[in-house]
Amino acid sequence: MSGKRDLMNVFNRRVAVLGALGAAGFGSVIVRLGYLQVENTLNTLRGKTSYSDAVDENRFDLHVLPPPRGILYDRFGEVLANTSPNYRVMVVPEATQGRLEDVLRQVGALLNLPEDVIEARIRKAKRARRFDSMLVQEGLDWQQFSAVNVFLPELPGIKAEAGELRYYPYKSAFAHPIGYVQRPSQLEIDRSEISNPGAGIYLRNPDVRVGRSGLEARLEPSLQGVAGWRKVEVNATGRVVSETVGQSRKPVDGAGTILTLDGPLQRAAMERMGGESAAAVIMDIQSGEVLVLASAPGFDPNAFVNGIGSEEFKTLNENEYKPLFHKAVTGAYKPGSTFKIVTALAALQAGKDPAERHNCPGYYVYGGRPFHCWKKGGHGSVDMHGALKGSCNVYFFQAALRAGQDRIAAMARALGFGTAFDIDLPAVQAGIVPDQAWWESQHDDPFPSGMTLNTGIGQGDLLVSPLQLSVATARLASGMAIEPILVRETLGRSGTTAPRSLDVPKEHRDIVLAGMYAVCNEPGGTAISGGDLQLVRDPSSGRAVPLEQGPGFERVRMAGKTGTAQVRVISAAERVTGVKRNEDLRWGLRDHALFICVAPWDKPRYACAVVVEHGMAGSRVAAPMARDILRVALMDDPLGRTPTTLAQIQGKGRRA
Amino acid sequence: MTLQINNPRPTSLADRLRKMHWLIITLLCALAAIGVLMHFSVTDGSWTGRPVDHATRFGIILVFVIGISLLDSRIWIALAYPLYVLALVLLIGVELIGVTRLGAQRWLELGPIGLQPSELMKIAIVLALARYYQNLDPRRTGQILPLLTPIVMIGVPTALVMHQPDLGTALLIAGSGFGLMFLAGLRWRYIIAAAAVALPSAIYAYFFVLQTYQRQRVVTFLDPDADPLGAGYHQLQSRIAIGSAGLFGQGYGEGPQSQLDFLPEKHTDFIFTMIVEEFGLFGAFLVVGLFVWLLTLVMRVSVQAKSLFARLAAGGVGITIALYVLINTSMVIGLVPVVGIPLPLLSFGGTAMLTIMAGVAIVLSIHLNRDASTSRSFVW
Repeated sequence: MSGKRDLMNVFNRRVAVLGALGAAGFGSVIVRLGYLQVENTLNTLRGKTSYSDAVDENRFDLHVLPPPRGILYDRFGEVLANTSPNYRVMVVPEATQGRLEDVLRQVGALLNLPEDVIEARIRKAKRARRFDSMLVQEGLDWQQFSAVNVFLPELPGIKAEAGELRYYPYKSAFAHPIGYVQRPSQLEIDRSEISNPGAGIYLRNPDVRVGRSGLEARLEPSLQGVAGWRKVEVNATGRVVSETVGQSRKPVDGAGTILTLDGPLQRAAMERMGGESAAAVIMDIQSGEVLVLASAPGFDPNAFVNGIGSEEFKTLNENEYKPLFHKAVTGAYKPGSTFKIVTALAALQAGKDPAERHNCPGYYVYGGRPFHCWKKGGHGSVDMHGALKGSCNVYFFQAALRAGQDRIAAMARALGFGTAFDIDLPAVQAGIVPDQAWWESQHDDPFPSGMTLNTGIGQGDLLVSPLQLSVATARLASGMAIEPILVRETLGRSGTTAPRSLDVPKEHRDIVLAGMYAVCNEPGGTAISGGDLQLVRDPSSGRAVPLEQGPGFERVRMAGKTGTAQVRVISAAERVTGVKRNEDLRWGLRDHALFICVAPWDKPRYACAVVVEHGMAGSRVAAPMARDILRVALMDDPLGRTPTTLAQIQGKGRRA
Repeated sequence: MTLQINNPRPTSLADRLRKMHWLIITLLCALAAIGVLMHFSVTDGSWTGRPVDHATRFGIILVFVIGISLLDSRIWIALAYPLYVLALVLLIGVELIGVTRLGAQRWLELGPIGLQPSELMKIAIVLALARYYQNLDPRRTGQILPLLTPIVMIGVPTALVMHQPDLGTALLIAGSGFGLMFLAGLRWRYIIAAAAVALPSAIYAYFFVLQTYQRQRVVTFLDPDADPLGAGYHQLQSRIAIGSAGLFGQGYGEGPQSQLDFLPEKHTDFIFTMIVEEFGLFGAFLVVGLFVWLLTLVMRVSVQAKSLFARLAAGGVGITIALYVLINTSMVIGLVPVVGIPLPLLSFGGTAMLTIMAGVAIVLSIHLNRDASTSRSFVW
C-alpha cells in the first residue's frame, strides 16, 4: 500500500496548496473591500467625487420648479405675451415593463401622431437614459390629453402632465419686438452644465424655454425669474420615494414688464402694411417711447415655442419678404430724399441762406459729370422751402457741397443716425454715416468730393434703419435728443431720464419743418395727395375726428418728407434710352419707398417713419401708409391718456 | 467483488444523528439566515415573498440533505458514473431542444424545484472524477491516457454548458474538475507545462491582440445573458454601494443603493453588495468568515476520510463552494467581469442552493462514514 500512502501524502500536500490559493483569493477580496473604503475616504478628503457622493447623486434628485415667465403688457396693460397650459406626455423607458415600443405606438395612435414621428420617438427613447423621463409630445389639446389620461392604467411608464408655456395671444402682431422663446438647445444645456451643474437640470425641465429673439431674448434674466427647486429622494426608476428630504427653494416669478407699445395701434399698423415687405415706427417725440414697432410680413411666434417644423421654418426663412427679419430695428436702407432734412440743417448750420435760390434744369454738373434730379426737366428756380417741398436734388447737391461731407455726417449723428440705440432688443442696426475719415478707411484713394452730392440726397454709402428715421424725425420736431425706449417698466426699472436738448437752433428746425409741412399740404408738395390726414379737431373735446364728422372744424395736419431709394445703379446708357419704370422691374429691383412725418402740425407729438421695401415711390406708397397709421394714432391719441403701471396691474390681480 | 471495511460504520439512526457534523449544518443555517435577513431588508416590512420563500426552500432542502447523508456513503460511488452520464445526456438533450426552441428551454421541471442539467453536472463531475481516480493505479497517473480521460470528462460538459451559453457555470465545472485533478496528484510538470503555454498566450492575446471593445466583447460573447444592461452599470453601482459603506455600513434596511433599486440583481448575484452596503466591512468579514470556516470544515472532512474517493469527492465539493464564493465576491467588487454566479445559500433562487446543499450532503455522508475505507479494487 505504499503507492496509496504516497497518494495520500500527495493529496494532503495538494489540499494545503489549494488552501493557500483559497486564502490568497479571499485575502484579495478583503483587501479590495478595504481599499474601496480607503479610496472613498481619500476622495472625500480631497474634495473629489467619492462613492458616498455618487450614492447621494443617485439618491437625491433636484426637482426644478420653473417659475411662470414674466407677462408682457402694452402701455395700457393689455397682455401681449403670457403663459398657457401645456399638456404633454412623457415616458420613462425603464418603467414600461419591457413594452417600450408597444406603449409608444399606442400613445402615438391615441395622439394621432404620424408614423415617422412615432418611429423617431421610439428610436430616441431607446437611446435615452432608461430612468429619466423623456418627452413624447407636448402642446396637446385637451381632447388628446384626456384620451391619454383615460388609457394611462394600460400604458406603463407613460406620464401625462400639465405644465405652462409661453403664449402670444396676438400671434404675428408683436412677433418682431417681443420675439419668441424656444426650448434650449443641447449645446446650451451642455454649456451651462459645465459652468453650473444646477443650471443644466433647470434647462432640461420640459417647461423651460429661453428667449430666442426680440425682448424675450434681451430681457431673459428678468422674464425668466428665479427657478425654485425641491430636493427629493428617488429610486432607480426615478419615482419619488420621499418629498420631505428637507431643502427646497420657492421659485420667484418672472418679472412682469410693461412696454411702451400701444397694442391696438401696433395691430392697426400691421394690418395696414398687409402683405408688403415693410416697417413702421411711431414714437412720442417728447419721451422717445415707441408706440409702434412693426415689421411686415409677420409670423406666428407661437410656432417656435413648441419647436417649429423644419419645413415650416424653411418657408419662413427663405421667403423673399423676409418675415423673420426685424426690419424696423435691424433693417438698413438708403434714406433717399428723407435725408434732405439732414442736408438742409447742415447747410443752414454752415450759414446757407434759406432764401438763396438755385435753378434746377433736371441735372447738375459736378466734376465734369452730370448728377440727375428725379424730376425730368427740373424744378426751375427753388429756395430751401421749395426744394424740400418738391424734393429737388439739384438744390440739395449744392446745399450738400455748401455744408460739406463731415458737417452733414455730424448733423446726421446728432439726429441719431449711425447709433445703435439700446432699446432692449438684439441686433439693433447702427447703420452707416459716411464722413471723409470713414470713406478713407474703406477705400485706398482719397475722398472724392462728388460723394458729398450723393450723400446730400440720401444715396451713396448711407444706411439707416426705420427706427433711426423716426428718432431723427422726433428729434427734429422736439428739439430734444430723445432716445427711443421700448420698456416702460420692469424689474428694477421705471421712468426715464429727461433728454438733453438738441444742439440745433429752433429757427433752423422751423425752416425744415415748414418745408415738411409743405410736402404734405402745399401745391407741388411730393406728398400732397398722400399726406392729407383727412382729420379735423373737434373743438368741444379737443380730439381728432374724421373730416366728414366736422367739415367746418379746424383741420389736423401733418408734416412729412418722402424718400425713394434706389436699389440698383442706373447706367448712363439707360439714361439715354430712358430710365426703366419701376413697374417694369421685377420686385427685388424696384426702389424702396420711405416716408417720415410728424403730427399734429400745430402741436407735434407723434413721429412716424415708414419704409416699404421695393415699394417704388415714397409719395405714392409710403406716405399714404404712414398717414393711415398716424390717423389711427391721432384719433385714439394714446399719448393723451395715462399709461398703466405694474403696481396697478398687480393690485387688480390681487383684488380679482 | 470484494469489499473491505476496516471499522464498522455506525449502525443505529440515533448513533448516526449524534455523529452528524452539526457544526457544518449550523454554519449553513447561519448563512441561509443572513440571506433571509437580507431579503427581508428590501421588502416593505413583510416576511411574505422572498424572505419566507428563501427560508422554506432552505428548510426543505436541509431536511433532504440530512436524510440523504444518513444513507450509506457507498451510494455515492455507485451513483458517480450514472449521474455523470445522466447529466451529460440531459445537457445534450437540452442542447438539442434548445436549438429547436431557440435557446428558450434550459430547465427541467422536477416537481416543485426546477433543475438545470448544468447544475447536476457540477456535482456529477466531482463524483465521476473522484470515482475515476479511485480506480486508477497510482503508478499510471503519469501516463497519457489517465491524463487525457479526465480532461475529456471535464471538457465535454464544459463545452456544452458554454454553448448554452452560460459562462459562469462552465467556469465552475471546469474549475472544480481541474481542481480535483490537481488534488488527485496531477504531475506538477503537466501543470507547469500547461501554464507555461496557456497563461502567456492568453495574456498576450488579451492585452495585445484584442482591442478594448473586443475584450469586452469576449466576455459578452461568451455570456451575453450575464450583463444585458451594458457592461459597466452593475459593477459601477455595486462599487458605489460598497465604497460608501464604511466599517459598519449604512445600517440594516438603510442602504440607499439597495433600498432604492440602484443596485440591480440585489436579491441574486449582488446580494453580497447589499450586505456590505448595510453592514459594512464588518458584514463582509462575517459572511466571508463563515464561508471560510465552512470550507475549512469541508476540507478537514476530506483530509480525514480514508478512501481516495471520499477525499476527492469532499475536496471537489469544497473546491466548488470556494469557486462559487470567490467568483461571486470578486465579481461584485469588480475584480473579475460579471459572469452571473450567485452567492450560494444567500442569493435568492433554488439552483445554486440545491447544488451546494447536494455537495454538502455528500460531505456530511463522508463525514459520517469517515472511518470507512473502500478498497481501490472495489467494484460495485
